[in-house]
Parts: sequence; C-alpha cells; structure tokens
Amino acid sequence: MTIHPKKSPRENVAALRSDRRVYFTNTGPRDTGQSDFKNRHTLYDLIRLAPLYNRSGYFSIENHGGARFHQNLLQNMTDPFEEARLWKDRMPDVMTQTLVRSTNLWGYRMYPRNVIRLSVKAFLPYVDVWRCFDFLNYVPNMIPIAEEVTRGGKLFQPAISFGVSDDCTDAYYLNVTGEILGMTGGTEAIILCIKDMAGVGSPARIARLTDALLQKYPDLVIQYHRHATDGLAVPALAAAAKAGVKILDVTDDPFTRYYGHAPVRAVQALLTEMGIETSLDIPMVDQAAGEIAGFIGHYQEFESQFRGFSYQVTEHRMPGGAFPSSFEQADKGGFLPLMPYILRGMSTGNRFIKYFDVTPGSQITWTTWAGIIQYHYKEGGLKQVEDLLDLCGRFIANGRSPEDLKQEEKDILFGLYARATDDLKNLLLGKYGPLPFGWPADWVYQSVFGEAWREKIAKDRFEASPLARKPDEEIGRLREELQKKIERHPTEDELVLYLQHPGAAVDFIRFRTRFGDTSALPTGVWFDGLKEAGSEVTFETHGKPNTIKLISIGQEMDGVKHVVLSVNSTMHVFPVEMPSRKAARKAGPRFADPDVPGQVASPLMGNVWRIGDKDRLLKIGDIVKEGEEIVNIEAMKVETAVLSPIHGVIKEIAVKLNEAVVGKQLLMVLEELPPEDLKRNRRSKSGRKAR
Amino acid sequence: MPDFQPKTIQKLFIANRGEIACRTIRTCWEIGIRTVVGYSDCDALSYHVKLSDEAVHLGPSPAMLSYMDIGKVVDAARKTGCDAVFPGYGFLSENPEFARACRDAGLIFIGPTSEVIARMGDKIATKKALADAGVPIIPGLPKATSAEQLIAFGNDAGWPIMIKAVAGGGGRGMHRLDSADQAGAALERAVSASRKLFGSDEVYAEKYIRGARHIEFQFIADAYGGVIHLGDRECSIQRRHQKLVEEAPSSLLDDRLRNEMGRVVVKAAKEIGYVTAGTLEFLVAPDLRYYAIEVNPRIQVEHTVTEMIVGLDIIRMMIRMAVGTPLRFRQEEIRIGGHAIQCRVNAEDPRNDFAPSYGTVTYLRQVSGPFVRADSGILQGSEIPPFYDSLISKICSVGKDRPTAIERMRRALSEFNIWGVKTTIPLLKKIMVHPDFVSGRFDTDFIDEHLDELLDYVEDEDEILKISRFIAEITALGKNPYCR
Repeated sequence: MTIHPKKSPRENVAALRSDRRVYFTNTGPRDTGQSDFKNRHTLYDLIRLAPLYNRSGYFSIENHGGARFHQNLLQNMTDPFEEARLWKDRMPDVMTQTLVRSTNLWGYRMYPRNVIRLSVKAFLPYVDVWRCFDFLNYVPNMIPIAEEVTRGGKLFQPAISFGVSDDCTDAYYLNVTGEILGMTGGTEAIILCIKDMAGVGSPARIARLTDALLQKYPDLVIQYHRHATDGLAVPALAAAAKAGVKILDVTDDPFTRYYGHAPVRAVQALLTEMGIETSLDIPMVDQAAGEIAGFIGHYQEFESQFRGFSYQVTEHRMPGGAFPSSFEQADKGGFLPLMPYILRGMSTGNRFIKYFDVTPGSQITWTTWAGIIQYHYKEGGLKQVEDLLDLCGRFIANGRSPEDLKQEEKDILFGLYARATDDLKNLLLGKYGPLPFGWPADWVYQSVFGEAWREKIAKDRFEASPLARKPDEEIGRLREELQKKIERHPTEDELVLYLQHPGAAVDFIRFRTRFGDTSALPTGVWFDGLKEAGSEVTFETHGKPNTIKLISIGQEMDGVKHVVLSVNSTMHVFPVEMPSRKAARKAGPRFADPDVPGQVASPLMGNVWRIGDKDRLLKIGDIVKEGEEIVNIEAMKVETAVLSPIHGVIKEIAVKLNEAVVGKQLLMVLEELPPEDLKRNRRSKSGRKAR
Repeated sequence: MPDFQPKTIQKLFIANRGEIACRTIRTCWEIGIRTVVGYSDCDALSYHVKLSDEAVHLGPSPAMLSYMDIGKVVDAARKTGCDAVFPGYGFLSENPEFARACRDAGLIFIGPTSEVIARMGDKIATKKALADAGVPIIPGLPKATSAEQLIAFGNDAGWPIMIKAVAGGGGRGMHRLDSADQAGAALERAVSASRKLFGSDEVYAEKYIRGARHIEFQFIADAYGGVIHLGDRECSIQRRHQKLVEEAPSSLLDDRLRNEMGRVVVKAAKEIGYVTAGTLEFLVAPDLRYYAIEVNPRIQVEHTVTEMIVGLDIIRMMIRMAVGTPLRFRQEEIRIGGHAIQCRVNAEDPRNDFAPSYGTVTYLRQVSGPFVRADSGILQGSEIPPFYDSLISKICSVGKDRPTAIERMRRALSEFNIWGVKTTIPLLKKIMVHPDFVSGRFDTDFIDEHLDELLDYVEDEDEILKISRFIAEITALGKNPYCR
C-alpha cells in the first residue's frame, strides 16, 4: 500500500500504519521559510521544487498556511490561491499540506464559523492534509475545520500544542488527545501531530510522550513537528521515530538555519544507522537540495538579525516562526538591545498566565512583554528593568503570594499588566476559550482590569466555547464592501482573502491591478529590478515568452525618473515617482474620502477651469450652499460643474487654478454648517454643458 | 442646371483632423489628388499631418482658434494652391459661411451649397422643405409660446411630447412632457435652458415616438439632379444622441419598406437641390411608421458601414459630384451585399460617466484580419489632446449576415489593444454580446436601459504592461519596497 493524494484519508492512514518505514513532511516551502527567511521565498523559486518533491518519497509538502498566507498578500504579492493551485498542479502525486490555527485559520483573530467553513471549503481542492492546532488546546475550537475537511474527503491532522512545563504532563496530553479522538470519531482517518513549535522537547521527553500515547491508542498514527531552536532537533526526531512516530517534519539541508526544521539528510542518515527504514528517494532529495542551493542566496537579507541556536528557548518558549520576526521588529523599533530582557520577561510571564506560545498566544506574549520591558526601560533605564525581572523571579521562587511582598513591590507587580492590550484582556476573559491550566491568579486580573476586576470577571469572563457564541458574518455585506473598495465585482477567491485579511487583501488586489502578477518574475528582478542598461529579463506569461530589457534610467528631475524599457521589442517610457516627491506630495494626489461629505472629489480627469462659479470666485473661509457650483473642471471642450454636496464653509482648497486633476482627486474640504433655508437660491443641478 | 462646368481637382485641402482626415487622404491618393491638411499646435505630430502630402499650421489648440477659424482655413487652402476643400464632419462642415467663403475664394467646396447647408441647419426650414417634398415628418408645433398651445398639441398628436430648442442640436436642450399637467413649468424650463445653452428663447414641440429606432438613409446627388440612395443605416445604439454602434442594413426594415423610404429620400434630395452626399435621418416607430428628423449635409462618421456593403467609396463619389461628374449608377444598379457593423472607439471612460480620457497612447495594436476595416486617426505614441472630439478609431466588420458581422466585430474588439488612455472598447464588447443587441430587439433607449449591465465589466490593462510598470518602478528605486 502506498500513500497518494487521490486515496481516501482512511486508506492513507491505514497505509501509514502498516508501513514499517518512517515518512517525512517537508516544511521547506512554508514553515522553514517562515522561521528562517521571514516568508520571503518567492513562488518563482519554490515552485521549481514541485516536480522534484513529487518524486522524492515525502508523505507531504507543507506549502500553505500559517503566516505565509498573510505574508503573501502583504509583501510577496502572491495570490495564496494561485500558489496553492500551482503546487497541486505541479506535484500531483504527493500530498500538499497547510497549517491552520483553529478559529484563527490563517489570520490573527477569531473568525465566525461561517467564515471558517467558507474559507476551508475554498482551499479544499488544493490542500490534502490539514494540520490544525489551537493555542489553548481547546478542542471545540477545531470542530468546524474538522467537519469541513472530513466532509471534503481530505486528511485532517489535529495537533496538540506541545510545551515543557510542570503542567504539560503525559496525563494532560492524553486527556487532550482523548478529546480530539472524541471529535474525530477515533484514530481511523486522522494523524495526530505533536506540535513542538518552539523546539523544546528533549529526546527522552518526546519518546516518553509518544510511548504514552501509543500505549493508550495503539492504532494512532503520530507525526512529530519540531523546530530546531534548542539545537536538539535531530536526536529528538530520531528518538520519536524509535518510539513509534510515523512521520517526521524535516526540511531540505540548504533550507536549514536555526529556527526552522532539521535537515532531512542528517535525520535520514541517523535513522538508517539506527536500523529504521525511510520512504525517501535520496537522489531526488539531493536534486531538490541542489536547486535550493542555487537560489537561497537571494534571501540572505531576510534571515534573522540574531543567528544561532538558543537553548534558552526552553524557558522563554518563543516559537520558531516568531523568532526572527520578533528580532526584526525589535531592530526596526530600535530596541534590539532589550531583547534579552524581553525574553527573560517572557520566561516569567508564562508562569503567571499559562497558555501555549503559538499564534495568537505568541503574539500576545510578545506584545505584552515587549511593551512592559520598553515601558520600564523608558521609566528608569536598565536598572528598573532588571529590578522588575528580579522581583518577578523572586515572586515566583517564593511561592507566588502577593501578600508576602512589600508594599512598593506589590505596587510594581500590580502595575505589571496595567497597559494590557485588548488581546490580553480578551484572553483573560475567555474570548479565545478557557485557558488550558486554569485562569491566572486574582492579582493578574487586578493588574489588568484595575479596581473593578471582580465585576469584570463576574460579568465578562466565559468558560463556554467562544466560537459557539460568535455570530455569523454577513458575507453578502462584506462582498459589497469589498466591491466598493476595489470598484468591481470581487471573485470568490478575492472574497475569501478579504474575509481573512481585509486590509492586506485590498492592498494586494490594488497592487495586482496596477502591476499584474509579478510572481512570474525571477527572484532577482522581483527584489532589485534590472540593474544596468542592457540587462534584460525573460519570463513567461500563459506559456508565452516575454523579454523586458532596460535601455536607460534617466536622471531624477522634479522627483521623477524616466525608465526606458524595451518591452517585447517595443520601447516604452515609464515615469517613476521617486520617494522624495512621493513624500512631498504625501503619496500621490490626495483623493477625497467618499465617506466624508465635506471632502469634495473631482468627478473626472481634467483641468481646474474655475474655482467658484461664473459670478463668484471662492477662497478659504467662504460659505457655500448645497448645490452651489464650487469648482469647474474642463475636459475636451466640456465643462463639468462640481456642486457643493453640503452647506458649509471652505476649510481648504486642495487644487490650484489650471491644475490638472484626476478623477476622485480631492478638490476642496468643507466644514458643514447648520442647515438654512436654501430654496431662495437653488441652482440647477444639471452639471454639464457644452462650451 | 448648375452654374459651373466640370472641373478637376489637383490638390485638396482637408479642413479636419483625426480619422476622417486620414480616411480622406487615402481616397485622394487612390485618385491622384495631392492633399493638404491644417493643424493646430497640439496636432503638430498627429497622424493626419504625417499622412498628408503637405500641412499648414493653423493656430493654437482650441478649435475656435484653428480648425474652426474660417479665415485661417480658407487662407491656408489658397496659399497652398488647393483647388478644393473637404470639410469632413464636425468643425466647419455644417457652417454655411464656410461653404460661401470657400466659393468666394474660388475653392470647390466638397458638399452641398451654402444655401442648402443654411437651410438644413434650420430645423423648422428643414421640416418644411421635407414636408413639401412629401416626406413624413414628426407631428410638431413649430413655435411653442404657451402652455395652452402645448396641451392642445399634445392632445391632438398624442402624449408624450418633446419640447426642443430651435437653435439646439445634438440632443441638448430637450425636455419631455408626459401629460398636460405641468405643461407651463416644462415650457419655462425648456425656454430657460435654450436661453442658457443657445442664447435663444425659441422652442418648438414634437410628438415623442416611443420605442423608436434611429434609421438613416445615405444618398448621393450629382450636379444635374441625379440622385440615388445607398440604403439605410441603423444607428439606434446611442447614448445622449451620440452614436456608439452603427450597422447597415437595419434589421428592422424589409425590402418593401426600404425601397419605399429610399424613394422618399431620393425625391426629397432632388427637391432640396442637394449635391454630393448627405443623410436623411428618420425615427421608425415599432408600427413601422417613419418620420424624418433631419438632413446631415456632410459625410457621416458611420458612412463606412454603407461603403462596406455597397462597395462604393462615398468620399470619392462626393469629390466626383463636387466637380460636376454625373452619377454613373442608376438606383437599380446599387446592390446591397451582406451586413456591416461599426463600433466607435472613443477615448472616454464609460465607467466614469463617459468622461474624456486623454493622454499618450503608449502602445497600440490596431485591428486587421479578414473582413475587418479600421479607420483610425492615431498612431502608437500619439497624444490624445483634450481639445477635440474623443473619437480615435472606428472599427468596421462585414459578413454575409448580421450574426457573422457581430462575430467578426467581437474578434476585432478583442484584438484592439491600446495602452495609455481609457476607451469605450470594454463597453462595445459588452454591447456585442448583449442578448437584446444580438437578437435585434432594441431601440434608441437601449444604452440607457441597460447601462448598468453594460458598464459591469472588468477593465484590465495588458498583463505585460503592468509587469513592465513594476519593473520600471523597482529599477528606478533600486530595490523593491513592497517586500521590504
């Protein structure tokens, strides 16, 4: 029996169970790229691996989900649907895999059930394995996804968020697994994933947990997902395999850095030495490695600011996927030197409020502690930061009773969460679900919610499933909202993107409208353009070759550079606005906000022929009546009167006489005045007349 | 009999620009006439200037100061040694002063006489002339000065009625009145609009024909009273009286009605004393009653569709008639073969209330291929100036029948590719697949009635243009700011 995407989940799970070999999931295209290269790998590079992966003997390729979804819209300008389709198309014999964050799916907030179902269904045709975790291990949060995936005939892979602490016992995980199997109706058609997202499970610990799970559920097929942060990934994976784990998460050797996954060849070699057979076709694996070695150099600038394993992860538990991005944020925010303190803070914080540091928990932990440490640093420098962390440490060591503290220490501790984010507040009120090891101590609530904390708990804290309480989204309304924003009917794909990430999706669609599908471009050109006159790029669209050659870049004049390109042998001049001018004009012509009645927009492209009507020219401070002609735009012999939408006073005139304006450009800003009887002076509403 | 003897033309001044100037130059080349065109400041590098044998600078870009300045145009024609002037459409083509000024300067004016132009420019006079020639005209009230008059007229002719400015045209200054109430207010509105738009208080009223089609007949008249017609054209696909799609023949008329209307047209042209080519426009009601509206004493934008199905060059014939060559064909010899459709490509943004879209045409792929004709006034690199009509190109397809012509038009519209300005192409594509257009069930309200559907298109630039724009931007900036 072999594994194949065309087979049913039950058949594939049975095949795994009866196979003595160990299988692998290659996380290179998704999680490794996220953990070590900030998700910047281009589809252009990654998709070249598909035909090689297709014949490498992997169980699955994780090519979808997690933060790559958002990053694709935000910075890669790659359509998650197109990406998913391309993989399915080029890799028909190996399973494609995604990662979903239970109710957060591929985003950073809880979606209502109808959005979850719609989004899952939209990707079902292209994704074979659906790994789903919940950062609270709250199984009811997974239900809509489990149902849709199962109904769609795809393989559901529930994951237990794994951590190392006094609370994370075998008994706890057996309990969570029991709940999961209750939901899935047994072990027949699922794979259970142990999700070690920070990379903290020691070889012995993982072997023990695997053993405990298999003792209780001998038919369970287990997969071990493990990041490499602590430096112990290879032996831990080997120990897991020896204990009976069927599938291991690895990546291609040239993809390995520090926070992603273990190198496939090393793991395979160690397993072979231990007498464990694997499913891999080594020459094909090496071919893929060769391909990656050829392009990985493009991504150096996106690797982490901090490079090297960090055994300290066992205390601060920052997951591999968040590690480099946190350092990036700290670097951009100018507080990189505070990172060691933030990590120490996280190590303490996870003993006050207990959950798993993985999306969205990892973001809550990060923003909370980056905020606390920066606040105290600004207040009293490193001294105050160190005092705070010492106090926290002592407090934990001394048995955690605030009553034992001195008054001034109490004040500091009770002020710890005083600037809590809404996300942290929501977490403490059960809006993500009940916390896995119970609610935190009262002093935490007092710190977060202030004096009225008891009332807050009594009134707003819920134990029940938050998803069940969340009302469905009005999809139709959101579709119209998107249509208004992009000024055309959105496709079903675009709607799903919008439901996940409204802002990023709209920006992405606008980018596409302006620049097309740039994922066809070679990575070097995508990152840096064409470098010197005469250099050219050849790429295909719909199988047709195109050649774009740089002829010249002009000198910057008035903030504009003229770039001359030969586009398929035809010369074109592209004026490109440089940042200096962009900054001066604050991002292009200012457009009127249609939702603000006082912002008057130009109805068309033309020249400002007159500001005012033929009897009265207007200036700032003038009062205009509703329906009064306030600007006249001339285009192709036709004058178009722009009428005042409201009765108001002119606060700003945003254009000059004879200035060329484009449609929707802001002409004037009016401040509404109280209504008055305008009938005496009502003018014709008909705007246009011939000149 | 005419007061002139047959002459020859060595050199023709084309008092126009854009596609019609280019189209006329092509005919002149065929028959060995040298051409001179005028141009304004912004047209110095235009296609008609490049194509013509000679060119004369007329003046600043605004048409009043160049193409419509009679003195400058006549002067330019004389100074370049032209013996004739062709006015095209628009600009000075319907200006009797211009025709007279040409004649006075000893230039052959290729069109009807100044007197005929003057008469055809006066609606009331035209109607009278047509009625006198036995052409059915829309029941009307020649001079509307009171509400009572309007009510009496409406009751007699049937509601609704339209109130129009005597001095108006092109669909401007028209007001519909559905019933007797508010007749006074409507009259007041019409008078005030007429005063504002045309500087005249005079208005008249006409019966409003519901569900009418706009059908016109092309006729050719020689200087000796010989007149033939070249069949009809269907021009109902129009927006605010601006035609977008024209075809020939109309799918509404049968041969009996076509012949009957043709006879009426020929008789009228004779009685008016018309020479060269002209058009008589009709409204045809659903009951097939037809009413003449006006005579266009000039070449029409849509003359192409007639040319494509009768196999005659109308401008060539105009030149012949103007120099006194007699008609060589009798009516029975005119054979209409197949069906032709024309789409007007305007530099406009239909989705923004058809606002003009001007700028540089950075890429242009014109249409060609079997059974397709393109008359264009632009080239790749052309500037579309804001000063003139927005028509940039006309695409004409022909086939053995209407469905074939429509298929070819769809193909041609898909091939047309222009970068730099917005055009009516996406709207035209929607019209060509609209079930009511395809089945021939439409009237002059077609565009208004279906506007929302017709504007529901995704306007997309060429993928390669967009990617090129991206590469240009990243290249100028030195690095991609989107991924950083």
